[in-house]
Amino acid sequence: MLELVFLIPLFAGIMATFLPVKLGRVILVITALLHVQLTGMCWLKISAPMFDDYFRATPEGTLVLLVTSFIFLFISIYSVSYMRETEMENEHVFIGCMLFFLAAMSMVTMADHLIVLWIAIEATTLVSAPLIFVHRSKEALEATWKYVLICSVGIALALLGSFFITLSMDIGQVDVPLAFSALQAVAANLDPVWLKAGFVFVVIGYGTKMGLAPMHTWLPDAHSESPSPASALLSGALLNCAFLGVYKTHTLLYAAGLGTYSSNVLIVFGLVSMSVAAVFIMNQTDYKRMLAYSSIENMGIIAFGIAIGGLGTYGAMLHLIHHSLIKSSLFLSSGNILLGYGTKLISKTGNMAKLLPKTFLAFFAGFAGISGFPPFGIFISELLIIIGAFRSGRFVSIGIFIFCLILIFAGAARLVMRMSFAQHDEDILVQEKMLRILPSYALLLTSAILCVWLPESLYQTIINAITAIGGGLNG
Amino acid sequence: MIQLSDAILSLVLLSVLLSLSSNRLMGLVRIMAFQGILVSLVPLFLDQHQGIGAGSILFLQIMILIKGILIPGFMYIAVNKVKMRTEVEPFVGYHASLFTGLAFIVISAYITERLNISLPGGHALLLITAITTMASGLFLLMARRKAITQVIGYLMMENGIYLVGAALAKESHTQYVVEFGVLLDLLVGVMIMGIVLHNINSAFDDVDTALLGRLKD
Repeated sequence: MLELVFLIPLFAGIMATFLPVKLGRVILVITALLHVQLTGMCWLKISAPMFDDYFRATPEGTLVLLVTSFIFLFISIYSVSYMRETEMENEHVFIGCMLFFLAAMSMVTMADHLIVLWIAIEATTLVSAPLIFVHRSKEALEATWKYVLICSVGIALALLGSFFITLSMDIGQVDVPLAFSALQAVAANLDPVWLKAGFVFVVIGYGTKMGLAPMHTWLPDAHSESPSPASALLSGALLNCAFLGVYKTHTLLYAAGLGTYSSNVLIVFGLVSMSVAAVFIMNQTDYKRMLAYSSIENMGIIAFGIAIGGLGTYGAMLHLIHHSLIKSSLFLSSGNILLGYGTKLISKTGNMAKLLPKTFLAFFAGFAGISGFPPFGIFISELLIIIGAFRSGRFVSIGIFIFCLILIFAGAARLVMRMSFAQHDEDILVQEKMLRILPSYALLLTSAILCVWLPESLYQTIINAITAIGGGLNG
Repeated sequence: MIQLSDAILSLVLLSVLLSLSSNRLMGLVRIMAFQGILVSLVPLFLDQHQGIGAGSILFLQIMILIKGILIPGFMYIAVNKVKMRTEVEPFVGYHASLFTGLAFIVISAYITERLNISLPGGHALLLITAITTMASGLFLLMARRKAITQVIGYLMMENGIYLVGAALAKESHTQYVVEFGVLLDLLVGVMIMGIVLHNINSAFDDVDTALLGRLKD
């Protein structure tokens, strides 16, 4: 039964909300382990969906599910130690919402029905809102308000887009269930005008959630104000889920022969996101906001890569995996830095290399990874996207792409250097613990391993996911 | 039957105009309850819904319960707790808002004319109402300062989108499980917004969104 993959976290979440906190922490880690196991079953195709009108294990969904499940395991271990250090008022709500969040995201990855996908994505917004305002500071409240309102309004537009796609079915006299897999087969009969209109609304709607500029305004606030484990989940898992909504609709347009149109829309959004990130990362004063803008940049890279087609699509899928691994590792390290210095301001940190050596190693390696240095996977994925773009002859776009990458590296490097080596006289508030370091290391190590050795089944799943839009190693 | 549905849609339009010109938060909540019930009733009076089965009757009741009673109920509690009675100094004045609402109706009539798609039973008014409601909801979101009014704007936009769905999608696509999921999301969304509102009010002593300007680059 495929649905267990989101039903089990749901029940665990309900339990954790009502049981004492200590038991809740145990439930969190056990559920994470169980979820990895269920994902494995889904990966090996042993579990079939019970409600196959609504759910289906697609290759792209399984891929995102695997990434989500994997990073959730490490984040849950980290959270246990993190929650011990910070005195959270409503810890049982936090644990419960983490599990609900996992459930909602797993539901997104398995959803096949257009409206069920919408329900699941909206549910991710709702259950993650309490994670952001768990500290109840004024800033956290503001961030939560912006997050809930902007994302809800944005996602409402995606519902409108889904209705337009339904209309394109009616006009084209297509009578199939309202599911992506069914529509895929008959896409050529759909009415192109309404399909295009639907795509634009879906991209604006789910793009808001994915953090594509100019709808990204909630993202830096929410990522910087939420506790670090929640930031890591938002950035490493949630953005991928929203991307899945955009990707599935793009696949539909490609099958309907409108691939050029949807690619151009995605390229514009991708490049605008990268440029916005490049501008705002330059003079950033807050290291968590810096990481948040880097997430906007990377979502832009993924949208761009998907739109390029061929080799670029393969690169974008690799980028999705590695961005999740490295970015969640960086956010976990930033949690240690926040505990150590007690501030999010870059100007009040410094000399991390001496004061927090283990965290420094993880943070610096993560920074190298996210900037595209080997041995981390983003090196390969960005290289493939650039080669793919050259092959398809989009020279202006690739110029902007590379220029933004350079700007972001230059801007972020200055800040990371400042944090790592500048003079700092005050003492560290909370010392580092192995339990809060090892998850970061493990995530980075995974990225490094996947860079040199990609398991055959993972490779095959990526290829299966992207052949639908003409992607592949030889494209 | 056709006349009845047109009457309901006219009432929806009226409620939209009322909400644009109202400055009392309690009044706004009442208008939303009224609009929620009307919007839930619309599918019942559309021509394409000939067979009214047990499922649709049950769903209708659930929808009226959620849109007409539960959501306005939460808003009512929120307004009471916040102790805020009126909207002060909106970004766009009430007369201008009302005029914008009228302009929305004209524009949606024009759009509906131009779209030229076969609506169920020739209900041009349905699409006009839907687009007007959606646009006015978005307008309220942007033109008012109090966070509560913004939630109401969001709800109105959702009502509009629901009407678009009712106008455009055929009956055969309607699956009550799925529609129930959408409603449930809406309900939980309003609950969460209410909780955040309450917290904002106790932290800032106000629900003015102009106060929410601490986070920026």
